[in-house]
Amino acid sequence: MGDLGIREAFSAITSQALLESLLVVLLATGLTIAIQKLFPRIAGKLGGKPRLYILASVPLLRLVIIVLTIIIVVPILVEPSFENMVAIFGALGLALGFAFKDYANSLIAGIVTLYEMPYRPGDWIEVDGQYGEVRSIGTRAAELVTPDDTVVVIPHSKLWASLIANANDGTDNLMCVAEFNLEPHHDVSRVMSLLRDVAYTCPLTRTFRPVVVVVSNKPWGMCYRLKAYPVELKDQFRFISELTAKGANALASEGVSFVSVPVAGTR
Amino acid sequence: MKEKPVEKSESVGMPGGLIPVEHWRVPETSVRRSLKDSFRHALAQIGAGVVTDKETFESLDNLPELSVEQLESFAPRPDFLELAGTLSGALEESMSNDLVCHGVTLLVAPPFSGIRPTLECFPQIESQHNGGAKQWSLIVPPENLLLDDQGAREWWDRQDLSRPWVIPELADFWLRHLSGLTLVRELLRRVAAGGLAPGVIGCSSWCWQFWSSYLDDAPFAPVTTSPMGAAELGAWFESLAGGGSNKLIIARMADDGLWVLPMADESDWKKRKHSGFLRDLASVARGNPGVALAIWRRALRVRPEEETDTKESGEVSGNSGGVARVWVVPFDQLGLPTVPQSKGDNIGLLLHALLLHDGLDISSLQLVTGVAEHEMGFVLARLARLELIEFEATDASWRITAHGYPSIRRHLQSWGFPVDAF
Repeated sequence: MGDLGIREAFSAITSQALLESLLVVLLATGLTIAIQKLFPRIAGKLGGKPRLYILASVPLLRLVIIVLTIIIVVPILVEPSFENMVAIFGALGLALGFAFKDYANSLIAGIVTLYEMPYRPGDWIEVDGQYGEVRSIGTRAAELVTPDDTVVVIPHSKLWASLIANANDGTDNLMCVAEFNLEPHHDVSRVMSLLRDVAYTCPLTRTFRPVVVVVSNKPWGMCYRLKAYPVELKDQFRFISELTAKGANALASEGVSFVSVPVAGTR
Repeated sequence: MKEKPVEKSESVGMPGGLIPVEHWRVPETSVRRSLKDSFRHALAQIGAGVVTDKETFESLDNLPELSVEQLESFAPRPDFLELAGTLSGALEESMSNDLVCHGVTLLVAPPFSGIRPTLECFPQIESQHNGGAKQWSLIVPPENLLLDDQGAREWWDRQDLSRPWVIPELADFWLRHLSGLTLVRELLRRVAAGGLAPGVIGCSSWCWQFWSSYLDDAPFAPVTTSPMGAAELGAWFESLAGGGSNKLIIARMADDGLWVLPMADESDWKKRKHSGFLRDLASVARGNPGVALAIWRRALRVRPEEETDTKESGEVSGNSGGVARVWVVPFDQLGLPTVPQSKGDNIGLLLHALLLHDGLDISSLQLVTGVAEHEMGFVLARLARLELIEFEATDASWRITAHGYPSIRRHLQSWGFPVDAF
């Protein structure tokens, strides 16, 4: 077994077996590409939960196709005996362990991602300071589209060591926060009630989800955080803008001013 | 608060009487119909933008439609004055069943269920029955709904709430705007505080969805009308066509001849095969009588030969010897209007606002949605072309159409908008 039995394992391969397995692999690749192109398109036309379900099914289906392809191709190429399997997977393990350690790391993390689902396509996540929507989950990495339309490729191996913040966690509920830093010496309960009304009267608000106003005392004045859920995930920035604009107008009409000194770095 | 059905009325127009909102259930449907509807809805969404230049409504069958006279004869609109009498009786029962808040009944119902026109008749029935001694006072909203707290207090102080009062539709009293909440907030505060004369507040289910979220601790136990299943709808359609006389209506499916009306009874179930049309109708309309009637009116057809005969004779077609004969178009060929898919959110915002307020004029619509006037014009024209909304010249308002409502509700729900519980 100087060559780990690889030579024996592959000695029975014929050109017809190679052709058959190539055909299976090509079919599987074609099917995977079709799913990866078609499903996001269909999901793009749907809203709410159906969109998220369809997007999340893409990587799962791809995994199923890969596993099925391996199950079909291996018996075509080699006799699936215990010795042959040990030889093939042993050699594969060695190659991956030494030559493609990081790549294998991401591949395995990718499988764990599909099982644990810390993020799915359609989720809004933040990894290492990058916030955006998960566009696709590949074998090695996930693609994130930021609000500025920049694609960020995040290797799945980040899963092991990085903190991943998921804003909607597979649902179509995503809490948005509009912050108001106001000068002190005003009627706090009146402002809280006003900001609550601002959220309820915004046409983009999901009124069946909670609307919360939180206030805290800061060195520069009072900090109000208006928390509410938008109708659609993609509306989150427009929603925050509307809450901020409507809130600013309402506060101005009540004679409550925003703090006029820069607050960056003082929190 | 105790929850129990209020009354089991024998009225055809209001079967089941009033029930607590929590007891309301959507009528059962067949698996086939559910799957078909889901598939069509998904196809409609996926097919977005495929058909853009052919959006006007068109019927998919080629049978002659009923004339206005025929429609008013075979499927007339209900007599709301009569319904008001039935509702009044049911409300009296509800007052003795702990389903009121300090003498005030909150009657929540989905759009087109006929609560508004029925409550608008209340002053007439009470004056007839009680010689004016307990005449209901009809509360109508002010011209300007944008008031501050003080203004709202003063306005309610001017209303006569010391004798029985009725508000046909609470949605007329507010706008989804920072200054547009005060009137309803003040009214509900007064109702919760007590001390008012007995009253009835009619409220659209969409409007109540907003206010029940806004006032999450509100001590109200709203009641609603029971949903109409296939049997109730059949009996109602028969009674409407009968018009108080013994006139009989015979309705059969246009494709396979199966019977729709008269309803099956034990004596003839072996002879006639009945269609599942009414069950599908009850399901699509979600038990809402107004929506079901609108679709029913749209589904009725006459026989071509009868139409030519009656054109010559001048009679109402299909009506001979006290028996009216009509054909019913199958659901699949009915071609009910569907909501178009749009890249922007304006369609959803406008439709949701119209439902929240039970119709709005252009300026109010712009105020509550923030959609620019020129964009709104395009969207409203498109929706009107699709027969999803209509303009009512009497109050210069846009309203949702009854037959477009099922599609609108479904789309708003799938787009993530807050929808009613009905």
